[in-house]
Amino acid sequence: MLRPLEDLTALGAEMARRARGAGIRLIWRTQIRDSKWTVVRQGRVESTAATTLAGHGAQVISGDGHVALASRDDFEPDQAVALLDRVITTAHAGERLGLERADAVDLEPLQGREVPMDPVAFGNVDLAAVSSRLVELEEEIVGRVPGPTLSVSFRSELDAWRIFRDDGSDVLFAMPRCVLSLRATGSGDAGRHGVSATLFSPDPGLAFDDDRVDLFLTRAEQAARLATALPDAPAHPAGSFPLVIDYALAKGLAHEAFGHATEADGFRSSILAKEGRFKVGETVGPETISIVDEPVAGDHAWQPFSANGVRRERAVIVRDGRLADALSDPWSAPSAGVRLTGSGRAESYRNAPQPRMTNIRIESSEPLEADGRFEDYGPEEVRQLLLEAGVFRRHPKVAYLSGYTGGQVNTAGGDFVFQCKAIYDLDERGATLYKPAIFSGSMFGALQSVREAFGPLLLDAIGYCGKWGQQVPSSGGSHYFLVLEPHESVRLGGRE
Amino acid sequence: MKLEPIVDAIESLSVDGVTVSHWQAHSSASRQLSLGIKDRETGNAHAPLSLAEASSVTYLLVWSDGLVCRGRLERHQDPRRAFEEARRTAYDDEDAAHVLGPAEFPEVQLYDEATAAIAGGDTGCIGDRLGWIRDAVAAAGSDTWSGSFSAGTAETHLRTSAGLDVTSRGTTFGWFVSIDGEIGDGFSARRAESDEDFKSRLSALMETAALARREVAPLPGGTHAVLLHPRVVENYVLGTLMQNLDGSAVAHDESAFDRAGFRSGRASLRKDIGLSIDPLKPYRGGSYRFTGFGLPAAPCTFIESGRLVQPILNLKYARRLGLEPTPVPFGNDTVSFGTPERLDYREALEQTDVVVLSVLGVHTQDRVSGDFSLSAPLALRIDDGALEGRLRGTISGNLWETLRSETLRFVEIPLETTPGMIVTCRFDSK
Repeated sequence: MLRPLEDLTALGAEMARRARGAGIRLIWRTQIRDSKWTVVRQGRVESTAATTLAGHGAQVISGDGHVALASRDDFEPDQAVALLDRVITTAHAGERLGLERADAVDLEPLQGREVPMDPVAFGNVDLAAVSSRLVELEEEIVGRVPGPTLSVSFRSELDAWRIFRDDGSDVLFAMPRCVLSLRATGSGDAGRHGVSATLFSPDPGLAFDDDRVDLFLTRAEQAARLATALPDAPAHPAGSFPLVIDYALAKGLAHEAFGHATEADGFRSSILAKEGRFKVGETVGPETISIVDEPVAGDHAWQPFSANGVRRERAVIVRDGRLADALSDPWSAPSAGVRLTGSGRAESYRNAPQPRMTNIRIESSEPLEADGRFEDYGPEEVRQLLLEAGVFRRHPKVAYLSGYTGGQVNTAGGDFVFQCKAIYDLDERGATLYKPAIFSGSMFGALQSVREAFGPLLLDAIGYCGKWGQQVPSSGGSHYFLVLEPHESVRLGGRE
Repeated sequence: MKLEPIVDAIESLSVDGVTVSHWQAHSSASRQLSLGIKDRETGNAHAPLSLAEASSVTYLLVWSDGLVCRGRLERHQDPRRAFEEARRTAYDDEDAAHVLGPAEFPEVQLYDEATAAIAGGDTGCIGDRLGWIRDAVAAAGSDTWSGSFSAGTAETHLRTSAGLDVTSRGTTFGWFVSIDGEIGDGFSARRAESDEDFKSRLSALMETAALARREVAPLPGGTHAVLLHPRVVENYVLGTLMQNLDGSAVAHDESAFDRAGFRSGRASLRKDIGLSIDPLKPYRGGSYRFTGFGLPAAPCTFIESGRLVQPILNLKYARRLGLEPTPVPFGNDTVSFGTPERLDYREALEQTDVVVLSVLGVHTQDRVSGDFSLSAPLALRIDDGALEGRLRGTISGNLWETLRSETLRFVEIPLETTPGMIVTCRFDSK
């Protein structure tokens, strides 16, 4: 599958030579993304598909600093050269539209290659065999939790890029992603409710890996049970409460509340910047709390190089409660006054890269113990953790928000919102299930509220992140559970 | 990509003695110009002037052993090899193993020469509008603004083994502007609106942005009359309705509307609410000549007088549910939603406590239960029918209860094709 990219060495050199000859800077992005997926419902294959996305995008910066990007969905040499000539002409014409002049840091030429999985294994994924396996898994889940309507799916994707620059840089990397998913829809007297569960692996043999499948079935069973119970569950009251959030929601908090606001391309409007400069050193949380973003090997959002051909660095966004690193790329780092972290990511060769997160996590320097797997903790076990830690002595009732279904942020105002899968009210007597509601508020209030953390770090909460019309894989996590003190600026939605 | 060599490849395919008995191939060739503005910087490295060319073919193959496969062929791929690979993904699906034959296709006005010229690089129109926005932002003293402009052309060609052979040519134009990273508006259609309409929309946006800078005392938490702006109606209400009307969701009991509800004749929503589409309207973004599976465009009603008429059905789910396939919604500007009676905007403000201009978290809501709990970071308080200033809050309730409520009112909003909605729901200020 990588062969078409590997065959571009001569054309990449020619594109770079032409760019230098024309006195422009060039980043030439080439990409092939092979995807396969299958969906099973009620014992039969509902759909399967295999698609390929492939092409190239030439981003040029003219001598007077104007930027233009052109893309085409093939690797024909003559067409690529013609496209380069066209985009150079377009960039030179930028003055007429009042285009901004780009000011980028000087980059060191870089050669690199990172291909962690055998690409052939992705080409050999047998969707018929995978579909049969999904039928078996669906039967297993139905056996454990009869009732809800199920949809079980598998997706494999190898996303390979080769990036050339006019300075001779040439990096090639391939990002493997495979996901098993379940969607369970339960019915009750009060209507229907859907709950999802996912499991990620970089290995296309995921559906046949007994250990991973066992973990998936555990998550799927929990989702199916929740889908059965939620339609008739009551709505939780609205207001500010002491909260427990799980690691997936903590990923949402880190991602929505802080991650986006530290992306340096938005510093003219971000609440974490002033006059375009990052507020390094400002206190935003307790001294025990840090927020870290970095590519994690074997992860859904792993990306070793940026889409500008720069190695991706670890960024400590919040160190011991204070702002430290921003997520930057060659164009945003100088004006933001931050170091280059190589955070530029793009959905495809057609798009201009933006500073983006990869795997983001909230870390506590003083986590309390929580033994065993995360999946071993139902609401009763979480209640027991709080009881033993003395949390109920401070707060007789705590709202436990379980599971993450997505979120959004306004980086200008610092308002974030995300949604859980279910809410449980926990007290010394037991746990009561409620329908999910949004968790929203001010990023500062939320992080300042973090008090206890339980368990080791778990970083496999996956999703997709949208920004400027582009979707890229995201992931992250935290300790198994975080306890948040009530804060007036942080509210749980609800109806009563 | 020309369809002829691809059709030749399909018709001569043989994989282990299995050939293709029915097929559908749909080619699309497009060209687009776009330009972004990020925090006042026009066409910076994160939002550059971009030119894109793309061409692809989506296909459905029904093999002689009854299995089906579908996929997308890109320009760089060898068709024969790609189809042979696709055979490995074939599966048994009787409902999907069908293609449509010839039909009468309507002529719909979808192509505009001036828009095609912009897509080809003539940026004069964009330059003028950029100038007007910059002037308006400077006059208002706004801190910053962001936005985008785009124009594109596309030619499509659909053929099937049953003799269907139809083409279409269209253009698209769109823009969006947000002020101070918080309040935005825009337009999209098959061609640019008049300069006068552009300036009117921009002017209304700047007036609202000015109001949004004026913070006012919070409303007491509780149930209020809330006017949802048409953008909120499109994002949340119409989005949720369309997902629940989708034939796949209905067939799999993953919709709030069950199959029996479409036959019962009983009202599922309030008895004066309807939802229909008309994809024949000239130059609308949601207009088209034929669907992706070859059904001629035509007006279609999905909800009438509160009753569910039919789900949104492609060929596969039409067969599965024993119904006829339907035209599909393609854009909100061809959707007709609400009641025949509508309040005008001024009248509506007198009956409203707060206008919600935008919500966060729509994609996180459970679409089936209809329970909603959304952050409303940009809302305007109303006092005695006058817009007072900005509120931040959350709204919560249940959409299905809302759409059955006697207090629900639809509101005509200037320059919008989608109505606003006055709903009675909880609003909690932050």
